[in-house]
Amino acid sequence: MPNASDILSAIQSAFPGAVTESRVESDRRLWLTVDAKKLVDITKFLRDKHGFDHYSGAAGVDRINDNLFEVTEILTSHGAHQVVVLMKVKTPRDNPSVPSLNGLYWNANWYEREAWEMFGINFEGHPGLYSLLLPDELVGAWPWRKDWKGYPDTTTGKRAVEKLATSGHTEYRFEPTIEELKAGTVHQRQKFPTFREREEMELGSDAEMIMHMGPQHAVVPGPFLLDLLLDGERVKKAFLDVGYIHKGIEKIMENRTYPQGLVYTDRMCYMASISNNEAYCGAVEKLLGVTPPERAQYIRVILAELSRIQSHLLGTGEFLTLLGSATYSPFMYMIIDREDVVSLMEAVTGARITHSFVRFGGVRNDLPDGFADQTRKVLKMVREKTTEYIDLLASDPIYQQRMEGVGVLTPGDARRLGVSGPPLRESDTPYDMRREDPILVYPDLDFNVITRTKGDSLARVEARMEEILESCHIVEQCLDQIPEGPIQEKLPKKVKPEPGEAYYRVEDPRGEMGFFVVSDGSDKPYRVKVRGPVYAYFQALPPLLEGVYVADVVAIAGSMDSCTSEVDR
Amino acid sequence: MDLSAIIEPVSSWIDQEPLIFALIIGLIGAAIISGVINVGAMAVVWMDRKVMGDVQRRFGPARVGSRWGLLQLGADAIKLFTKEDSIPIGADKQVYVWAPIVASITTMLVAAALPFGALNIGGKEYPLVVANMDISAFYVEAALSVMTVAIFMAGFSSNNKYSLLGAFRGMARMIAYEVPMGVCVIAVAVMAHSLNLVEIVNSQSLWYAFAQPLGFLIFTVALMTDLGRVPFDQSEAEEEIIAGYTTEYGGIRWGLLYFQEYINMLLGSILLVLLFLGGWNGPNIPLLPPISPMIWFALKLIIVLEFLIWTRASLVRFRIDQVTDLGWKWMLPLSIVNLAWAAAVGLYFA
Repeated sequence: MPNASDILSAIQSAFPGAVTESRVESDRRLWLTVDAKKLVDITKFLRDKHGFDHYSGAAGVDRINDNLFEVTEILTSHGAHQVVVLMKVKTPRDNPSVPSLNGLYWNANWYEREAWEMFGINFEGHPGLYSLLLPDELVGAWPWRKDWKGYPDTTTGKRAVEKLATSGHTEYRFEPTIEELKAGTVHQRQKFPTFREREEMELGSDAEMIMHMGPQHAVVPGPFLLDLLLDGERVKKAFLDVGYIHKGIEKIMENRTYPQGLVYTDRMCYMASISNNEAYCGAVEKLLGVTPPERAQYIRVILAELSRIQSHLLGTGEFLTLLGSATYSPFMYMIIDREDVVSLMEAVTGARITHSFVRFGGVRNDLPDGFADQTRKVLKMVREKTTEYIDLLASDPIYQQRMEGVGVLTPGDARRLGVSGPPLRESDTPYDMRREDPILVYPDLDFNVITRTKGDSLARVEARMEEILESCHIVEQCLDQIPEGPIQEKLPKKVKPEPGEAYYRVEDPRGEMGFFVVSDGSDKPYRVKVRGPVYAYFQALPPLLEGVYVADVVAIAGSMDSCTSEVDR
Repeated sequence: MDLSAIIEPVSSWIDQEPLIFALIIGLIGAAIISGVINVGAMAVVWMDRKVMGDVQRRFGPARVGSRWGLLQLGADAIKLFTKEDSIPIGADKQVYVWAPIVASITTMLVAAALPFGALNIGGKEYPLVVANMDISAFYVEAALSVMTVAIFMAGFSSNNKYSLLGAFRGMARMIAYEVPMGVCVIAVAVMAHSLNLVEIVNSQSLWYAFAQPLGFLIFTVALMTDLGRVPFDQSEAEEEIIAGYTTEYGGIRWGLLYFQEYINMLLGSILLVLLFLGGWNGPNIPLLPPISPMIWFALKLIIVLEFLIWTRASLVRFRIDQVTDLGWKWMLPLSIVNLAWAAAVGLYFA
């Protein structure tokens, strides 16, 4: 299995002079700065020759002091090896433009669109640079640039002017100043077709109609728009629009100190707040160069796995109400089971869903007295009940008929579409961060990565239930092995990492959750980029929905167990 | 008091004006029926909520009207009546307004021919039915399906895509299941040598559920489909098409449509009891001979209703194409097999 240095030397021998800077952080992390002209070639080389078939995301960074934009492409592999290549491309700030990787990786589309709308970095060769998260009228404001004034203008206190556009939307813009008018440098925003216009272009005949699922709809796990182009009951094409609850958490975190940023990670997805905490703290720990004490690592693993159990229970329960009706009873039973697990977590963290529990170099509290016994009791119950649910679903012919062979992701498709977590694993790809990029004490623990070969909705839900059993197993091992000792590494009161970059990923209940944190030496992060699993699910949803029935849309979208809040972070 | 002094003029008046007498009797009957079925359906709604609550480990209504929540539906009705009555701008107003009324009329039409039990007075059974017509079994089954017209009116007039899809689904489902349902009724009629529901009940010395189990099964499934109960509630699948054909309805208009479903559920269950479960037949209960048929009837009815509610809480929903598949490819052929069985056995039965 090649490690990071092998990959580096391979690139350097194939493309002499193309790599301007390089850093081998560990066997699994390779940081490169490459020539923008060679980016596509190097990526193609990596993809075809070295098994980098997973495009994990792209992060834009505004280096305003150097008058540069950086785009960091995160590439990794579905099992060929465990190296993560973080390839940086620099482009001048005046006319930022880098080559698009959309031709090589289908799922680069959204990541590049996001970098474009937030930073204004043009991606040459991208098929449709339209706004993704931002409303159409904000395109051209490039809000994540460091010199963006904000609404209201944070430097002058001037407020943006609200205007009712002819289309009926409210537009926000700054009136040009007199100097700008005189100099003729008033920024003209380009006009792009809106989401509605783009989808209406696809309407073929009068027999077809566009039906909205969302932003407020029973099937959506938070506000997002899923538009179905219907021919009778058949979906001909699906369109997905996100950004209804975009909170700009990444930008907010740039304006908060490192510890303050922690609470925002909870809010990205409350079902997975422990793993979001973990991912953020892990990245900052890498910057700080600290390792949490062993007991703290065990506590983190216990909580992360408990969090996985409760997330899967609620996710599956909610999914079942989508398939049946709100009256379908197993939902209630799962909620009741989840209650006990949540209470366990509450006993440790003091909070039920937004824990903010993990600290840089440790955890906040130690386990309370009697936690181990109580947990064993609850896990026994969860295990019994979950086995029962698996049996229940396996013996329900209507359920099987609804789910079997619906929304099939072939292994090739699943990798191409860039999904991770259960939907990928159930497509015969044992890709689990706990194995691929082991953190904390996961290497010492014994667990199976649940996989299936079919890749349909049935397999996804079934395997999610089995992951609960596996998580129970992990927690029980942790309870047996956990040592006594400190729970917090000594750190200075003010967290000020050295300038640098770190990428840290964990296995969220839903898949690969990565945090890319850039530090400039101050007490606030220079840039935080979140690579969430649900973002990838959403991107993969429209192709999955083509040609299915309306009722299958529910079975497919629901079986993904999504969380809009994390997409619109 | 001399009763004949009152009865004689009345009966001579009846002889002179039979039409007016029939009208008066009809009106009284209608008043009684609407009272009975509406109160009955309210009981069904209450039962639905309570049983569902039990199945799901929660209480169900427990605040209004004692700890049993008996008046919850009354509170709901007051809320619905006092809500704003809004009609969507693009709606076909006439049809939109009439759809809930057509739905109500349908249920009344069904109720008119349906026996609601019988009283045993002096060893003789008096069925409680307003219009004891000769073809009542067939009439009831036909009138039940008019409900689909109301559903289609509601869905089509709302000018809403969810409603339209819901209406289409309701229509497709109805066509696929009315036919096997009708064939099952014919099979029962063949065995009973009559289409009159009262006679069908009286002829069931052996329940038809046992005499033709296949027909019973098909009729039950078809009835659930006709009533739009889970797993056949595609026309109002809230996770796919919001509320289906009722999406654009609000206030008491929605309340009427919603309530009609429960009335239909009650009437459908009664039909099932009459056709297959021996109606009010049962051994006489000592001390209560006059109402003993009613007790048996109510007992059977509650079991059927409980079954319908239970399935709702424990099954997921079919997809619409699976439903029509099941209807055309399985139910219809099997119902014809059942008809052949009924014809063959029926020769020896009577």
